[in-house]
Order: sequence, then structure tokens, then C-alpha cells
Amino acid sequence: MENFSEVIAIFFSLDNFIAIAMGVVIGVVVGSIPGLTATMAVALALPFTFSMQPVAAILLLVGIYKGGMYGGSITAILIRTPGSPASACTLLDGYPMAQQGHAKKALKAALYSSVIADFISNIALIFFAAYLAKIALNFGAPEFFWLICFSLTIIISLASGSMIKGLMAALLGILLSLVGLDEVYGSQRFTFGNYNLMDSISFIPLLIGLFAIPEIIEFYRKKALPHIKAKASGAGLAFSELKRCLTTIVRGSLIGVIIGAIPGTGATAAAFISYSDARRRSPNKANFGKGEVEGVAAAEAGNNGVAGATMIPLLSLGIPGDVITAIILGAFMVHGLTPGPIMFQENLSLIYALFMGIMFSSIVLLLVGNVAIKYFSLIADIPKSILFPIVLMFCVYGAYAVNNDTFDVWLMLAFGVVGYIFNRAAIPAAPFLIGFILGPMFEDNLRRSLLIGHNDLSIFVRGPITWTFIALTVGSIALALYRFISARRDARNAAGKSQQE
Amino acid sequence: MATPHSKRAVRIKDAGDVFAGIVLLCFAIVLVFYLVPNYINEPPILQNPMMSPRWLPGIVGWLIVLFSILLILQGLLLDRSSEEDERSIEKGTTRRFVLMVVALVIYVALFESMGAVFTGILATLVLFVAHPVRTWWVYSLAFVFPIAVTFIFVKVMNVPLPIAPIGF
Repeated sequence: MENFSEVIAIFFSLDNFIAIAMGVVIGVVVGSIPGLTATMAVALALPFTFSMQPVAAILLLVGIYKGGMYGGSITAILIRTPGSPASACTLLDGYPMAQQGHAKKALKAALYSSVIADFISNIALIFFAAYLAKIALNFGAPEFFWLICFSLTIIISLASGSMIKGLMAALLGILLSLVGLDEVYGSQRFTFGNYNLMDSISFIPLLIGLFAIPEIIEFYRKKALPHIKAKASGAGLAFSELKRCLTTIVRGSLIGVIIGAIPGTGATAAAFISYSDARRRSPNKANFGKGEVEGVAAAEAGNNGVAGATMIPLLSLGIPGDVITAIILGAFMVHGLTPGPIMFQENLSLIYALFMGIMFSSIVLLLVGNVAIKYFSLIADIPKSILFPIVLMFCVYGAYAVNNDTFDVWLMLAFGVVGYIFNRAAIPAAPFLIGFILGPMFEDNLRRSLLIGHNDLSIFVRGPITWTFIALTVGSIALALYRFISARRDARNAAGKSQQE
Repeated sequence: MATPHSKRAVRIKDAGDVFAGIVLLCFAIVLVFYLVPNYINEPPILQNPMMSPRWLPGIVGWLIVLFSILLILQGLLLDRSSEEDERSIEKGTTRRFVLMVVALVIYVALFESMGAVFTGILATLVLFVAHPVRTWWVYSLAFVFPIAVTFIFVKVMNVPLPIAPIGF
């Protein structure tokens, strides 16, 4: 009861409500503008949270994340340009519906599916995070060491594109995380005598550089394209149509929850799996891809079902499952909090206040989404030639604000160039960031295990939990190899077929 | 004498991967043989080599060596031309790109000495010219936004920024 009143006291603050509302609005606006991503918005918002209370800061970022997930579907439906990769699946049926004059219906279906999926995902977060954290209380340094190994391997094995490039990105991220003073011996590592590097590389300039600057560079490198105007027209979604889609939405949400809880899989995979599952089961399967409202609902449910669930490994184990949760982890750290099982013991009220805020964000998403459909054209009609100079301004100001030093602006630009090269070479940036975050944790748990075990390596196989994580790590490496071999086989078969033709 | 077979054997399937692999291989060799021994101080007494500050960077360096060789082999053997097609972009004018670089230089070179507002205005104007923005009233936004964004950072969010040029 005492805890409950504390939770209420923490949550019911005007700052929290403003943070959630602002977050969702910013997320929907940014997500609905092609070229601006939710990841970019969360990264740029991070410097703003310095002076905020921890709960309000995290809720602002969570709000942007959720709003961005829905916002991405708006342009996918109206102008066939997904605002985020996860919305690519929504356009399969959303855009044909818009062409047939049912844009408003598609947008409403996307909104209601997103909100329902988001709500289900939040419920899963509340139930499973606490349960998982309870189990994680039994973890010591060797168990965490293997958990980090598993997280790194699963993220790489499930990353899109070349597995070798994903691995390379993660290794470079780990290497970069080691810059600065060694925590055990105090030795300098790769500081090259520069005092700015003694305290390791700042997270925020790296983040902004990797996820915002490459988009700006790419925009000015590319030929200027004419701006496409969009319009949401037609009738809305009837209740009978929503009822017809409800089973699909719930199923898609559960798919999103399961996929979101596994580090590295992400919303794009969830959207496509949910979509193909709905098509397989639907009596209207022939209409899928031609403007089927159930297709839009399935894609959006899968996509948004991930949002709450990705927070499960973050809050209960302290392991980020994707880029956005990695940024949110950074926000926790900025405020002196370390997510994980200990947080459930020491800051339980704060966690439950966060849960309340996350639940509330679903209601805000419903309200903001409805307004966004109405006034969307005002948002989408802002050309990128005006937006990107403002985004760059936020990037520079945000990077500078970390330490009040131009060195961080240089650092941000350097990472921007790295991010651009990564984009051009199809090297995924997500494993790089996850490697940067997990690198110090990996080394810390390795060293602590050696100290606890008095340099005896058998401590790494000391019980069923370590063996479980070893099996999972080996399994994820095997999965990566299987994906690599089957991709090669498919490519060879495709080449053989085209030669025959 | 080169036979058609030998010509086929040396054909590179993805030059980008081969190039990236060579760059990373060179970097990893420099890392393992020069940077790790010279730029990481090792304590005189170590109970276990795995506790050394050089251990993880060394392992990461060797893994980069291994995977960069695999990346080179991937570039030589696997045809990923369809992926390359997706990556290709229609390049804009050099002027557009150069002006963007100028805007970045303005930010890093003048930010502390001239303040956030002045550099923001200047860089935004340069970026508007780079695109180029042809609607005249939009240029007024180059004055409004830096002032508004600086105000949000400094007054609303309490995040300090250099506002005015040094000496004012």
C-alpha cells in the first residue's frame, strides 16, 4: 500500500503527462515524414531530458518511440513511402486502399490496430518484466557474461543483410566502447593523450552521428526530388470492419510481443510475419495485396506489438533488444539508473510509475493519431529542404550540450561520416550501437567472474543457467550459419533459374 | 597465357565488399600490432592474462582480421549485385554537396566563438541555398528557427549553449 501511494505520487505529475503527450505527438509527426525516423527523433530528444525527472525523461522517449511506430504507417498508406522500415508491410494493402479512395479507412484501421497491439504489448511488459527480473536475481557475473554473449550473437544472427557485416559492426562497436580509462587498472586505452577521450566516447554524439547525420548527408548528396503532397480521403472504418479484423489484430499483437521480447528481431520482422499469418488464415486471402483492410490491421498489429515487449529485456535484464531501447538505456544511465533485476528491488515504485505512463501512452496515441489523420497534410507537406537544416541544428546543439565542448560536435560529425559509409556499404548500424553498449558490460562481467572464481575458468559453466545461455549462444550462432548457407543456396538457385531462362 | 577459365576465376563479384574488407583488414593489422601494444598500458603484475586491459581489444582485433578476410572472400565469390542496386543513388550537383559540407564546417568552426544563434542562422541559410529553396519567405525561417531552438534549449530545458558571440 505504501508502495502504491509512492507510485501514484511519482506518476501523477504534470511533467509526466506533458512528456507523454509531447513524446507521442513528436513521434507521430516525425514518423509520418519520410526520411525522418523514430530512432532519429529519440536520439535527438535525449539531450532535452538532461534536466527532466527520470520518469518524465523515459516517458518522453517511450512516447516518441510509440508515436513513431504508428506515424510511419501514414506515409506508407498515402504516398507509398514508409516512414519507417517496419511500415513497409503496411503499404502492401494500405496504398492500394488509398488509391481506391479508402485512405481514411486504411489510416483508421492502422491506428486502431496500433493502439490495440500497443495495449496488449504493454500488458505483456508489465507481467513478464517483473517475472523475468525475479529469475534474473539469481544471476551472477558468469550468468550475465553468457547472457551478453547470447544477446550479441542473436542480434547479429537476426540482423538483416550480410551476417559478416553485422559481426564486423558489432566488433567495431565493442572496440570503440573500450576507449578511455580501464575501470580495473586505470590504464589509458586508445586515448592518444586526448583528455576528452579519458572518460570514454560520449554516447549522445555517437548516437546522433550514427542515426541522424547520415540521412542529412544522403539528402544533400542525392539529386533534389519534387515534393509529393498527400491527402487522406474517403470514409472511416466501420465498427463491423474493426470487429472482423479483431482476431487478426490480437494474433498479430501476440506475434509482435513474442518477437519483440527476443533481442535483435525488431518490428519489421514482426509486421511481415503477422501479415503472412493473417493472409494464410483469412477467408479474403485473394484480396491481400490489392487493398484488404485486414492486411493493414495485421501489419500494424505486428509492428506495434513489438513496442512494449522490447522493453522486457531492457527493464528486467538491462539488455537492450534494439536501437531505440539502447537509446532508452542511455537515458536511464544519464539519470544514474541501471535497468535490471536490482532496479526492481531498489526502484520498484519508479518502475511501476513507468508502467502506468506506458499504459497511458496508448490512450494518448489513440487521441493524437485521430488528430494526425485529420491534419496530416499540414505535417507531411513540410519539405525536407526546410526540415533537414532544422534537424542539423538540433543535432549540433544536442551534441554540444552533453559536455559544453565542440569536441563532441566533431565526434558527432565523425560518426555521421561513419554512419554514412555504413549505409553505403550496407553495414547495419544497430549491431554497432548494441556492441558499443554491451562491450563494457561484457568485459566487466568477464573480469568479475574471473575474480570470483579465483581465475578458475570452470566458473563459466557453474550451473544450469550458464549452460542454458551457452546452449542459446551456440543455437543463435547455428541459426546465423543456417541463414547464411540457405541465403547462398537460394541465390545460387535463382542464378541457375535465370541462366536457364 | 590467360584462359577464359582463369579470367572467370579473378572476376570480383562485389567490389564494395572487397574494398571494405581490405580497409578493415589493414585497420585490424594496425590495431593488433601497433595500437594495442603502444596505446594501452599494461599493469606490471597480472594474475590472469584475461584480466589485462589489452586482452579484449586484442581479441576484437584478431576477430576483425578474421571477418575482414571473410568479407573479402564474400566480395570475391558471392554475387550481391541486387543489393548494390538498392544502395545506388542518383547523385545531385557537387555544389549542393559542397554547400552542405560548408554548413557543417560553420557549425564546428564558429559554434563556440560566434554562438549558437549566429552559426545556426548562417548554416541554415547556406543549406537553404544548397537545395536551393526558391520561396523567398522561407529564408526568414533561417532567422526564426535558430532563435526558437536556442530558446527551447537554454530557457525551457535548462541546457546551456553559447548564445552570443564572444565579447558580447
